[in-house]
Amino acid sequence: MDNFFNEIVELFTTPQYIDSMLHGFALTMQIAFFAIIIGLVLGTIIALIDTAKKSKWMFLPKLICKIYTTIIRGTPMALQLFIMFFVIFAIRGFPQVIIAVLAFGFNSAAYVSEVIRSGIQSVDGGQTEAGLALGLSRFTIFRKIVAPQAIKNIIPALGNEIITVIKETAIVSMVGLYDLNMAAKDIGSGQNMASYIVPMFTAALFYLAVVYIITFVIKCIEKRLRRSDRRI
Amino acid sequence: MEEKILKIKALKKVFGKNKVLKGIDFELAAGERVVVLGPSGSGKSTFLRCINRMEEPTSGEIYFHDTLITDKNIQKMRQDIGMVFQHFNLINNLTVMQNLTLAPVVLKLMKEEEAEKKARSLLRHIDLLDKAEAFPASLSGGQKQRIAIIRAMMMDPKVLLFDEPTSALDPESIGDVLSLIHEVADAGMTMMIVTHEMGFAREIASRVVFIDEGKIIEEGTPSEFFEHPKTPRVKEFLKKVL
Ligand SMILES: Nc1ncnc2c1ncn2[C@@H]1O[C@H](COP(=O)(O)OP(=O)(O)OP(=O)(O)O)[C@@H](O)[C@H]1O
Ligand SMILES: [Mg+2]
Repeated sequence: MDNFFNEIVELFTTPQYIDSMLHGFALTMQIAFFAIIIGLVLGTIIALIDTAKKSKWMFLPKLICKIYTTIIRGTPMALQLFIMFFVIFAIRGFPQVIIAVLAFGFNSAAYVSEVIRSGIQSVDGGQTEAGLALGLSRFTIFRKIVAPQAIKNIIPALGNEIITVIKETAIVSMVGLYDLNMAAKDIGSGQNMASYIVPMFTAALFYLAVVYIITFVIKCIEKRLRRSDRRI
Repeated sequence: MEEKILKIKALKKVFGKNKVLKGIDFELAAGERVVVLGPSGSGKSTFLRCINRMEEPTSGEIYFHDTLITDKNIQKMRQDIGMVFQHFNLINNLTVMQNLTLAPVVLKLMKEEEAEKKARSLLRHIDLLDKAEAFPASLSGGQKQRIAIIRAMMMDPKVLLFDEPTSALDPESIGDVLSLIHEVADAGMTMMIVTHEMGFAREIASRVVFIDEGKIIEEGTPSEFFEHPKTPRVKEFLKKVL
């Protein structure tokens, strides 16, 4: 037990370790943040194409989206990361962080699009019909009626997806990037503290704290969005 | 000659292999109140929904006044062809007031203050002014349907289509909704109503149309239709429902 406390003290008083930990954390957050942005933007576009009215113009875009989401959701993230690193971006000197961001962003987009698509489709068709019968355009109906109702279903699931991306970025240590996960392993290794337990639990606390904060924020947003369900 | 609001020629609708409407010819004159009757699954809702293109007709022509309704002009036409649904379809994320004013304001038919003023006077008329800021989730079925009716009235439509407006209501609120429809009728509104309320049908109809298996097989004034039905099919139907 004494040893354990000593190790905690060692980790938090050695500037080099703290530095490594924070750098790792910063990289994790950086990759996750930009990947989530790409995932949201690309995922929204895919979802809109997916839910658009069928027509001959939309046939090809819909097919491409279908193939894309099927491939992404049907293969392991770690393999997609390897393919991005060692096949698609096997270019010397290309910034590794950007490759990682793209890999996670492209992956997340497939899941985000599913979340948004099912959110939109869960809105009762009668809501759209009400708008149509009043002479509103499909665009107005989407903006004023469908989207605000879909958001309520989308936000909680999107929160889960954001959390998943943050945790999943830990596999970038497999391609040698120095993220939070890698930092814990490095600090615990033989040349450094020579004990994994404290750095790894500390890394776990970092991840947990971020997940907790995001969960809290999502809950608050959900509560605000629920206002129209309230009976007044 | 009296003014025709709707002219429908050889309207057909097929869902997959299911031929639901098999050639409907129908005209609706200004001020008429046509009640559409028929057994379940005969195509009454489909008929009504083809008129404002909630369903795309498979073939046939529908004229509003003298304009052929097409995919291009239907959005504009719908401002003049109101519809009241069986399940009310109030917009859940909007308050009652917003439900009433959204379309007239977005479509620039009225200024916002003007629309709110009109909405308030209609709400007062149905005794629901105190619900103006409530969300639909907090209303009873009868309240929702009466609001859906005045929402359609906000547009000053030339014709109102009702698809079983009281079928989803408890017996107590049916009366409120029916008397509101009566009031709208008395104000001169042209309407088409699908209903299973035979008493109401008889009172409100200026003409009754009977659909069976996707065709109009009999029509007439309510007294002709209910007291002297011509076809065996209608006689049988009336025996069951009266
Ligand atoms: N969107 C749809 N897709 C496929 N089939 C449909 C659709 N809407 C209606 N139908 C079919 O068309 C037929 C007629 O339906 P419709 O709703 O018009 O009947 P109805 O006369 O209104 O019956 P009810 O009195 O029960 O409301 C039914 O067989 C129904 O299953
Ligand atoms: Mg019906």
